[in-house]
Amino acid sequence: MGSESKIRQFFFPSLTPRFLIRVSFVALGAYLFFSNVLIPIHIKGTSMEPTYHDGTFNFCSRFSYLFSKPKRSDVVTVRFAGNKVMLLKRIVALEGEQVEFRDGKLMVEGKELEEPYVRLPCHWNLPSRQVDQGCVYVVGDNRSLPMETHHFGQTSVKRIVGVPLW
Amino acid sequence: MVRIKTILIAVLVVILGILAATYLLESEEKKVKKQFDLLSKWVSKDLGESPITMASKAKNIGTLFAESCELKVPVDSTSATYTPAEVSGYALHGRLQFSEMSLKFYDLTVEFPEKGTAQVVLTANLKGRSMNGELIDETREVQSVLNKIDQKWLFSAFEVVEVLEK
Repeated sequence: MGSESKIRQFFFPSLTPRFLIRVSFVALGAYLFFSNVLIPIHIKGTSMEPTYHDGTFNFCSRFSYLFSKPKRSDVVTVRFAGNKVMLLKRIVALEGEQVEFRDGKLMVEGKELEEPYVRLPCHWNLPSRQVDQGCVYVVGDNRSLPMETHHFGQTSVKRIVGVPLW
Repeated sequence: MVRIKTILIAVLVVILGILAATYLLESEEKKVKKQFDLLSKWVSKDLGESPITMASKAKNIGTLFAESCELKVPVDSTSATYTPAEVSGYALHGRLQFSEMSLKFYDLTVEFPEKGTAQVVLTANLKGRSMNGELIDETREVQSVLNKIDQKWLFSAFEVVEVLEK
């Protein structure tokens, strides 16, 4: 087979049964992979600025916590509604810990947490509360938003879907 | 040979009949989902909707609810019970606040814990524009309970699931 016909065969393959079966398996494999292992996500909103930007794309890796547990500072995707709507937030406190906001500073177990990822000003005040068993406390990185409009708080670990790929 | 052919045709007809019955006859799950379709249709409002249509839809919304329907919104610490007439009244009042809106339900999971009771977990998306031009696009996970009363599935409880507890 000449190189020209090889190129033609590559871009315009013959629709043989063998080819169609191969394409079907590839399509099925891709569907299973991107719906169960690496879920494409479209980031909407500014609650994780400047770490993650509104309108950008990423993947949610579902098996990141197969052999480990979520830990502080991890950015996670939290199932918000159904199978399609997720929140992208950062874990700031673990189960049993006391968490509060004092003049914009995040205090965990009474001590100020170092948060180099928070680059925008924050003026939140939230009385101390304890994170329930089986839960983690998640907050976005962009705390310049009014506290009332920002979705944050404790959530069950079972609602954590995975972590962004980058 | 003829006998085998007759048997095969008979089996095929029976299979087709079963498939047709399954597809055409409304299962209880389909009936429950249909109630959500109706609620979505009657809550949604098009731009320039006439007052007669608005009143008619608000009245129809009330027919989907049982004599007593509990509404819980943990985020707002709201929990109240409404009659169908009250639901119609609040629906009319709510629709007046919007120039256009749509309410859609996704990812419905229906279970029947006991006869005559359906528990549904779903995603609800409300999109619209308020009378002062503000755009609304809110998605929430909702749990609903329906009871079968006089052969009709009627809503008896709605709870907006609190995913993140501040």
